[in-house]
Amino acid sequence: MNQAEVSQLMSKLRIRVNPRHKNLKQPDGPQGRLNKLRRTVNALFKYERLELNYTLADETRGYAERLISEAIRHGDTHKPTMEMADYWIEEKQLIHKLFKVLVPRFNDYKTSYTMLYRAPKAYPDIVFPRSVLELRGNPFPAILPQRSDQRNFIHNVLLDEAKKAYRAEKYEEITKSLEEQREE
Amino acid sequence: MKGLVALRSIKNRLCTDFDAFCRMILGQTPPPALSFASPIETLKPSIPALTNIERLFGDSIFWAVPKHRRSIEKRLKRKFGCIDDFYKMLLPRTDLFTCNQCGHSYQRRHLCPNCYKRVKDETTEFQEVIEKELGLEPIEQEVVVLYKGERTKQPVEEFFKGKRIIELKREKPSWFCRNLLQRTTIGNSDAKDVQPSELA
Repeated sequence: MNQAEVSQLMSKLRIRVNPRHKNLKQPDGPQGRLNKLRRTVNALFKYERLELNYTLADETRGYAERLISEAIRHGDTHKPTMEMADYWIEEKQLIHKLFKVLVPRFNDYKTSYTMLYRAPKAYPDIVFPRSVLELRGNPFPAILPQRSDQRNFIHNVLLDEAKKAYRAEKYEEITKSLEEQREE
Repeated sequence: MKGLVALRSIKNRLCTDFDAFCRMILGQTPPPALSFASPIETLKPSIPALTNIERLFGDSIFWAVPKHRRSIEKRLKRKFGCIDDFYKMLLPRTDLFTCNQCGHSYQRRHLCPNCYKRVKDETTEFQEVIEKELGLEPIEQEVVVLYKGERTKQPVEEFFKGKRIIELKREKPSWFCRNLLQRTTIGNSDAKDVQPSELA
């Protein structure tokens, strides 16, 4: 089957895009919303991990993903992409980061480029839900702890083998003692 | 306003002249008929005259009272709230779990507060160091943050090739305490101390 992979020909984000945008109520209206999103997209590329209100983080995520995927598809010689990067990134040293650091990092990714977690709430406080937005492959310690309970992890495999060996030893001992009893 | 003034004048008149009020209500004055005075009746204590019109209004007429019976559904809803909308009774929460790593409780589909706090503190420190190091120069390399003493462990040139290494001034925080293998209770099996028994 020498079919071209359609998924590589078409650009598609690997996140769920909401059917309608969030207004992010602002005194400045839609322009204020865009300014706020620009600030957060810029901060995401700068710090790689942010704690934000859930709605803002969810909205920012889409724009950041789109920008990275466009950069991967077209490269830095494509004029519209560069204009888009220039609009969305306010600190211009981060444009270098987008094309020289993030594009090689995410080039072979089969998953989304960002992750969104729900941050914990302090119990009796009634607050807006918070969330943690991060770029994948960042240099910080992992947010989700490494799982130690999966069967195929090397230490679990070794422990299983050790259990089997121990049981075999015990069974041998028991059979030996039974035979001795019979002889007596 | 005019009506109020008229009402007030009527009330004043009634207070002063009760006979006029009786005439107005009953349509006639008490009958000037022939009457016999029995000795028993004369001994009766005389009925206090209803001269105080304010007392009459206050005691005998109810002003604002419920006109209709409130239905059982409405009463129950006021008492307990609505289960889908605003329920007033306390319900047990079923979305709390125990973290496998640290044992603190966390809400379902949320991060564990204890684990997240640890990561967050580290992350903010990393971010400060990275921001200070990179400044306003164009960022062209991946950044790796190493703790103190980690640089010598790895073969740096191969492992971090083409990456920018930033070193922290402190050692890596260990999640375990260092004296895990040390015994917490030190006691000999052949000790001859007599333990007190049946202590309340």
